[in-house]
Amino acid sequence: MNRNRLFTHDRGPRKFWERALSFVMLTGENCFKVPVFGCQRCGECLLSHTAFICCQRCPKRLRNGPCGGTRDNGHCEVFPERFCVWYRIHRRARFLGRNTLLNSTERIHNWKLEKTSAWLNVFTRRIPPPTLFVKRRRHES
Amino acid sequence: MNLRERLESDAFIVTAEMGPPQSAGHGVIRKKAAHFTRVDGVNITDNQTGIVRLSSIAAARICLEEGLEPVIQVTCRDRNRIAIQSDLLGAAAMGIENILCLTGDYPTFGDHPEARPVYDLDSIQLIALVSAMNEGTLLSGQKLKTATRYLIGGAANPFARPLDARILRLKKKISNGARFIQTQPVFDLPAFHQWVERVRQEGLNEKAALLAGVMPVKSVRALTFMRDQVPGMRVHPDCISRMASAKDPEEEGVRMAVETINRLRETPGIRGIHLMPLLWESITPVILEKSNLARRTEP
Repeated sequence: MNRNRLFTHDRGPRKFWERALSFVMLTGENCFKVPVFGCQRCGECLLSHTAFICCQRCPKRLRNGPCGGTRDNGHCEVFPERFCVWYRIHRRARFLGRNTLLNSTERIHNWKLEKTSAWLNVFTRRIPPPTLFVKRRRHES
Repeated sequence: MNLRERLESDAFIVTAEMGPPQSAGHGVIRKKAAHFTRVDGVNITDNQTGIVRLSSIAAARICLEEGLEPVIQVTCRDRNRIAIQSDLLGAAAMGIENILCLTGDYPTFGDHPEARPVYDLDSIQLIALVSAMNEGTLLSGQKLKTATRYLIGGAANPFARPLDARILRLKKKISNGARFIQTQPVFDLPAFHQWVERVRQEGLNEKAALLAGVMPVKSVRALTFMRDQVPGMRVHPDCISRMASAKDPEEEGVRMAVETINRLRETPGIRGIHLMPLLWESITPVILEKSNLARRTEP
């Protein structure tokens, strides 16, 4: 497994047992992550970094923050009736004290991991584990 | 002096934006290029707002032949990582040295709303990708025989909210290798100053050159369109009332642009301006003349 700053070089689960396990685990994950977080099954879960709102619901599937088109009321430029996902992420991250996690540049999405189980990918070390606890820092501003 | 050298010196920088035509002819580009002889870099838009136009790299090559210094805009809307890397290698081989990395407008705003949006990368990852190509590696890890040597730029929107997210994204762009930052057109100076203040607090203006966007408008309709239809844009009510009461809206638009430029030049932390004369390229020399920017330093 070769991982660099920009991109994960990985072909995803390929062996039969791994694919079967991924399918079973993904079905389990779907029951929880889809209704609770709006998970889009990208297989490279960023939920812990994005204050537990799935950033892949953004129409542009941005992984690094909002595009320049967020409206004044915080709505999306593509679907004006919806809130911008990243607007909600930033609001909730501030509320939960998890804004430091938004500082890192996320890697380019590996499409080979699409529709695979993110937890399996964590256990097989394809993606970094989630950051569950953050030291709360006093808000400066 | 090219754009890279000007960025390294203390000179005031003027870049402008040009839209390639919706035709297969090159005459229009050459004609438009004549208006931009006095600027340091000409941005060539990449199918702006999702409307099909002549390719930005081809138009940049024509501009290069006309003696201008082109800055190609590259969006992630239409190309995946394979196409972007291949296009960037091609552009580098044709002598293009400057690139502005953008995420790109969603296709529903353009003339092909049915198109499949790609967004394989986003602008920050694109900047990181170009930085890697400048160091001589492709995304796959393959080494390039000749590395590209792009001057990388990024865009910023000072008006969209929340401000924290804007500053964060700007920080990510600069830490991944953006050397100049061009902003959306400024029609609301107080909000812009607020943003510049935050940028200066973070010390970002020392790591990258901030070029503030200035757009001359012809009519009050253009301003209200911008306020209502362009997401993430902010227009100060004073601008609209000024344009609405003007006898000659074109002249008033030029005067307003010149005033904005003068105010921006006094703003600490701003290294230059980025002119966006949308569909009104011929006004560029007039504005530069009126704001005493036409005879800066001779190249």
